[in-house]
Amino acid sequence: MIRNTRKETLVAFVLIAPFVAIYGLIFIYPTIDMFILSFQDAPLIGEGTWVGWENYTRLPRDRRFDTAFWNTAYFVALSVVPGTLVALFIALGISRLSGRLQALVLALFFLPYILPVSVVYRIWDWTLNFQFGIGMHLFDWMGIDRVPIFKMTGWFMPAVAFVTVWWTAGFSILLFLAGLRAIPQEIYEASSLDNASRWTTFTKITWPLLWPVTALVLTIQLILQLKIFDQVYLFSVGGRPNDNLVMVYYIFQRAFVNNDGGRAAAIAVVLFVIVIIVSVLNFQLMRFAERRP
Amino acid sequence: MNKLIGLAAATLMATAAQAEETVVWWDFLGGGDGVRMKQLISEFNEANAGEVKIDATTLEWGVPFYTKVQTSVAVGEAPDVMTYHASRIPLAIEQGVLDEITPADWEKMGFGEDDFAAQIWDAITGPDGKTYGVPLDTHPIVLYYNKDVLGAAGQLNDDGTPKGMGSREEFTAMLQAVADSGQVKFPLASVTADGNFMFRTIYSLMGQQDGELLTDGEFLVGDNAQKLENALGVLQEWTKAGLQSTYTDYPATVALFTSGEAAMMINGVWEVPTMTDLHADGKLFEWGAVELPVIFDHPATYSDSHVFAIPAGSAQEPAKRDAVLKVMAGILNESLFWATAGHIPANKNVTDSAEYKAMEPNATYSTLTSNMIYDPKTPLAGVAGPIFDVMSTYFVPTLNGEMEPAEAVEEISYELNDM
Repeated sequence: MIRNTRKETLVAFVLIAPFVAIYGLIFIYPTIDMFILSFQDAPLIGEGTWVGWENYTRLPRDRRFDTAFWNTAYFVALSVVPGTLVALFIALGISRLSGRLQALVLALFFLPYILPVSVVYRIWDWTLNFQFGIGMHLFDWMGIDRVPIFKMTGWFMPAVAFVTVWWTAGFSILLFLAGLRAIPQEIYEASSLDNASRWTTFTKITWPLLWPVTALVLTIQLILQLKIFDQVYLFSVGGRPNDNLVMVYYIFQRAFVNNDGGRAAAIAVVLFVIVIIVSVLNFQLMRFAERRP
Repeated sequence: MNKLIGLAAATLMATAAQAEETVVWWDFLGGGDGVRMKQLISEFNEANAGEVKIDATTLEWGVPFYTKVQTSVAVGEAPDVMTYHASRIPLAIEQGVLDEITPADWEKMGFGEDDFAAQIWDAITGPDGKTYGVPLDTHPIVLYYNKDVLGAAGQLNDDGTPKGMGSREEFTAMLQAVADSGQVKFPLASVTADGNFMFRTIYSLMGQQDGELLTDGEFLVGDNAQKLENALGVLQEWTKAGLQSTYTDYPATVALFTSGEAAMMINGVWEVPTMTDLHADGKLFEWGAVELPVIFDHPATYSDSHVFAIPAGSAQEPAKRDAVLKVMAGILNESLFWATAGHIPANKNVTDSAEYKAMEPNATYSTLTSNMIYDPKTPLAGVAGPIFDVMSTYFVPTLNGEMEPAEAVEEISYELNDM
């Protein structure tokens, strides 16, 4: 049969047209608009005046931007690799179970993931609230001084990272389990015939064969955690917001609290560029690591 | 003939139904006061059936509410009338979200400058001299106290009010006496984990020294910084002496007081319904509420007002406008009931009435209306505004003894002037 490629291309275009139109309207157009807005002194809604690079050049001098930038980096460091490792360990454990018990344990670990962030916040506030938290009674019982965990700068980011790992690990566990099941059983049988120790089996078989999944989990986590907002906002409302700022929180503050649409857009552009650079770097590193063995 | 009359009656009724104006109303009153407002609205709807009908929606308080107002005005989907905070009017004028309340509007409502306290009228007046809101109430902060505990500690006057309200030394000594009586965990419950809330207390203490936050567009000029430091100093002193609760957030503060673990609490009058209702159920001790103690030179209390406002571009048709004016005037005239929500009605005719003067605890603390101070008039001010965020970040460590007041004031001055 002779294929009419021109006709096929046309059909393809027609088929994807609705998606492209919507994508252009609600993603591409606002993104372009954001870039334009970032060069203006504009309120959140309404016309602005052109100020060139001023919204960008003031960022290095902006203390709150500095806080937001470093807090975000700190949070990513605290959550991405530890979160991935925790999920891997739990997945390895679950994969040793079988039948209904496996399904039950998997469900237990997956449960937090289905909670909305507001519920996650409530649970941990009830647990760690300085005056009435259940956890604080545990502190009292052990004779340790109570710690206002979400109200002290030193404790805040580690605690939020911990809560985030607890909350989101379920999804990564699921990915790891799928990856583990995809490793052919024959390889393990062969290695046991060779008398390989558990550690050798893990480092020489499981880890390298699981690497594509690990890379995927790391990338998803990285992009997700760079955009951290909800948990930080909920845990710091009314407390010490400006000490706990992260990038998206600062964008929100500039745009919706200070009514500075232009300056908010400039920070959003910076975050956009950071996410792109980090993702590309991450992807290249992963490819490099994959080729090495 | 009968048929004809029936037809005529039906036609008449149809015209009446068409003439009924629906007023779309947004508010942010989600607490105990919201329940009382819903009752006022349904009473208004009953009384004006066939003429005006309020279609009310309650939205999330704070930044979510004000963001929604801004976007809805931009796309022409704003309500006909909404509640607003007087402290946010300067920002609202800059954003262009409010319609002017014209002299003709005031006349139709039957209210004017003389019906409100001077500070409130000033708060709704823009830099152009026009008015942008119709004041509903004043909601200051007050000192709540547990009569049983204070009485047992010997700290009540004969009229049932707390002793030691006249100076810093007296009040601290009173707190100490309550602590020494060993009945409670904390003499004073303070919202020390929430700097947003503490702004109200600290700004009051600045006002007691005639301190100003904003002078000619600059923050904390001259000795105003020292006055803020003094205010923070006294609160930190109470923390260090173990006289007030530390790292306590808003709900925990109320819980400490209502559970009897704290003898006193500084909080907004909007918690009055909580106390009244608990007490009516027999779940609360004898309690009272009074004006804040004078810690520095003279009495002063931070206050804000709920006002009604018309979004820009809404209610422009004369018939709709009249209905909106009728709604605002109607609620203002019924604001004696609004006082059961703890708020002090802005309408002076209500507060001057004998019924209001007999209302407790409102009557005890309503003396503070002559000592009220409002937010500085700047787009940076207002509930959930940028000033709140800056202050809060340094108040929390200072009030809990992590940071020295002098250092906090230095940082606050820098950041406020950097905005």
